[in-house]
Amino acid sequence: MTERIERVKRYLEERRHRAFRRELTAEELDEILPAIRDRSLSWMRRHTLRLKLFLERETPVLLPDTHIYGMRTIVSFPDIISAEEMAELKEKYYVHEKGKVTNLSWDVLTVLRDGLEGRRKKLMDGRQEDGEFVDCVLEIIDAVERFADRYAQALEGSGQAQEGEKLSRIVRRGAVTMEEAFQLFRILHFTLWCTDCYHNTLGRFDQWLLPFYRHDLETGIVTKESALEMIEDFFLSFNWDSDLYYSLAWGDNGQSLVIGGMLPDGSDGTNELTEMTLTAARELRQIDPKINLRVSKATPIELFETGTELTKIGLGFPQYSNDDVVIPCLEHWGYETADARDYCIAACWEFIVPNVAMDIPNIGGLPIAEVVRETIAEHLEECETMDELTQFVRQALRKKAEEMAEQVKNLFLEPAPFLSMLMGDYLERGSDISRGAKYNNYGFHGTGLSCGADQLAAVERYVFGERSITKKQLLTGMENDFETDKKLQWILRNKAPKMGRDESANEMGAALLDWFAQALEGLRNDRGGIFRGGTGTAMYYVWHGEHLPATADGRGAGEYLPANFSPSLFLTGAGPLSVLLGFSPESLLRTSNGGPMTLEIHDQVFKEKESIRKVAELVRAYIAAGGHQLQLNAVNSEKLRAAQEEPEKYQDLIVRVWGWSGHFVELDKCYQDQVVKRVEFGI
Amino acid sequence: MKGTIFSIEEFAVFDGEGIRVNVFFKGCPLRCRWCHNPEGLKGKKQIVHSPNGCQHCGRCRRVCPSPEHCIACGACILECPKRLIRFSGEEWEAHDLARRILKLSPVLKASGGGVTFSGGEVLMQPDFLCALLEETAQLNRAVETSGYGKEEDFVRMLERVDFVFFDLKVMDRERHRHYTGVCNDLILENARRLMGSGVRHTFRVPFIHGVNTDRENLVRLRDFVREEEGRPGVEFLPYNKMAGAKYKMLGMAYDYDFRQPTKEDCALAGEILEGCDVRFRKA
Repeated sequence: MTERIERVKRYLEERRHRAFRRELTAEELDEILPAIRDRSLSWMRRHTLRLKLFLERETPVLLPDTHIYGMRTIVSFPDIISAEEMAELKEKYYVHEKGKVTNLSWDVLTVLRDGLEGRRKKLMDGRQEDGEFVDCVLEIIDAVERFADRYAQALEGSGQAQEGEKLSRIVRRGAVTMEEAFQLFRILHFTLWCTDCYHNTLGRFDQWLLPFYRHDLETGIVTKESALEMIEDFFLSFNWDSDLYYSLAWGDNGQSLVIGGMLPDGSDGTNELTEMTLTAARELRQIDPKINLRVSKATPIELFETGTELTKIGLGFPQYSNDDVVIPCLEHWGYETADARDYCIAACWEFIVPNVAMDIPNIGGLPIAEVVRETIAEHLEECETMDELTQFVRQALRKKAEEMAEQVKNLFLEPAPFLSMLMGDYLERGSDISRGAKYNNYGFHGTGLSCGADQLAAVERYVFGERSITKKQLLTGMENDFETDKKLQWILRNKAPKMGRDESANEMGAALLDWFAQALEGLRNDRGGIFRGGTGTAMYYVWHGEHLPATADGRGAGEYLPANFSPSLFLTGAGPLSVLLGFSPESLLRTSNGGPMTLEIHDQVFKEKESIRKVAELVRAYIAAGGHQLQLNAVNSEKLRAAQEEPEKYQDLIVRVWGWSGHFVELDKCYQDQVVKRVEFGI
Repeated sequence: MKGTIFSIEEFAVFDGEGIRVNVFFKGCPLRCRWCHNPEGLKGKKQIVHSPNGCQHCGRCRRVCPSPEHCIACGACILECPKRLIRFSGEEWEAHDLARRILKLSPVLKASGGGVTFSGGEVLMQPDFLCALLEETAQLNRAVETSGYGKEEDFVRMLERVDFVFFDLKVMDRERHRHYTGVCNDLILENARRLMGSGVRHTFRVPFIHGVNTDRENLVRLRDFVREEEGRPGVEFLPYNKMAGAKYKMLGMAYDYDFRQPTKEDCALAGEILEGCDVRFRKA
């Protein structure tokens, strides 16, 4: 890391830039609120007006040492939808999260080259299907140009007239060099966050940057070293405002990028920027941007080792995804081969296709553990064989899937004209992306998979196999939280088969995933898309766990479910090897909506060079076994417990929570406890 | 053929080449005062009670049928509301345990790893050990031993193993007895058998300031390992401050105050053992 970058980093970490922030005044709010909440205007108009007012009120700030301009100064800006209006909307429509267009990946390379003038031209030369859309995009383009010009003036005022001119030029005419590409990206990303279309990603970073990087190398503008410095400056810019998107905690903001992996033509896209990205992230130690590394059976061990060096510092990235599984799965769902090969990762872990998809990959979570529990509770008594019970499970999954598909009909989405302007060639159509794109699929997470598998495996062994537990005994235990039969609970928790350790439970897990996929087959959303099943949980693992009574795997009422694609929290006597082999079923080829296997590796393991190689081998083993997505954490549970006791001493401790990383001490207690409890594989 | 183990670690990265599965045998004839793995001492299944988080509700004591002398019945395990009590020690049929290990062979082989049998002391259960070594012959098999076992058992083990980590804790006979409870005659005899066997090996020294860091011990160590040709491998494992952490869980006391080796201790060892393949592990 160069001294300049160290200064930028220190300035950021001391949070000195926050001194430039302000809240809107009461007078400003009096002016803004009636305008953007004027019900006589369309959503498109209101959205556009809000963005214009927002950009106008932003103040250019030239932070020291960084060469990338564009820092938020207004902490929060009101939504166009009031609480009252949202309540009305929810009566009429299904509103996903806040009703915004999220989790898309825009066409970075094309837009950076086009500049806003290029985009304007494409819009005017296009079909202009929706006149209002066209007007709004034109107004927004003007507003962004004006905003950039104000930065240019500020630069001029500080004696950097040439820099100012350059800024105005690249925003209009597009980027040629790396530095220009980063600056234009910054302005566009800044504007996107002002529209409140959050969780939209940085795309395939090492692909879109490559032509700029090669240009600069060939013309002698950069060396590899100075390019790394620029990348680091750029990465730091994602942390200026990262706390201003607030969901559950700081960090869950969707600023994720993808590196490596297959190109649309089938060749390998790994290039020198792949490794430089990992190096930059390792040197900077920041929450953003979040790094996803695409790999396959053919990936050389050295890249896994570089990835492991990043894992070692404890941020929870890179997250690995396996092209050998994800691409065929996307093809299975009807994505064209070239599109499937170009996949990237949404905010957390869902696999999305850039430029051409308006998928909503996280529209709901199917509670697998609950479906299995309810089926056992309702039907075990009448079943004579395990097969009869599993038939009921399949029927129940289908019923639940149908109910959920029904619930998400009649979707409300606020238009997103600015984001639409960034999306590939959709601009030529002249219509908002929220109305749909080439792919309009929805994704359902599947929560508590291992809990479901373990319940079925326990019933299979003890009720139908050994007959050592009677149906009544099990049902009573599940009913009264094992209050009168602690021994039964102990057996179910400690002795019963568990997914990740025992073959019978692994088979149940694999079968459950397939039944989940079959339950979704043939269902259509009201945009003509399909439903994709996956292994993620997002926050559902807490919600679904809290309300779930005792289950047949010995889990007590209200106890947590495992997060994402992970084994039971009661798993003992099995280490990461058993777990990764047990969690790589062939059925992932039909259920790769996204949701990683998560392994916690004790930080002690990373102390010696040769064990870095071994962790890399472990990752490669999961990929070779057919796992779809893997995320490793370097943790030390004693340290986490100490941080719970004395949070004041652990302000900088970062942990991976689900699809994102956050500061441990800022998490709610329930998430802290979950992180602490996860199975930790020591040395 | 049955045996008792207290742990299987699947991602052991410090005990041999590649990714290894480490199986810990229960039971040890030595009583090293610095032992950090007291679960390995007793040969039988026992109760482990984690003290952190105990509310002292007394439910475990109320259900105990034998308060004077634990019979490891497990009644208390079911009672503990905080789930702080567990068994340590599990009996396995060698064939089943071998199958359990072999399931992982694709990963182990791909990384150039294998299985390591450790303890406790593996030579306390020689038949079980040999059965396991035979059944896992398709993998690279390593053993960690104190060397304190009968000659015939040691030889049987050597005939079936690919690599041996052999402890040379203290070279002086009486000091060895003082610190470990047994004298080292048998150990040194077996060490010489190992050196003459052609089986690849490394000698290991739990390195503890004031116990075996002195010049005399290091010189005797060097003279001993140099009895064999080439560059004998010697690995120093610095004493771990956390050694006493597990004693309370087993209802045992740990009241020794050992110290980690100093930089000077390590420098001296490096100097005296020049010509050997010396490694220092991190504390």
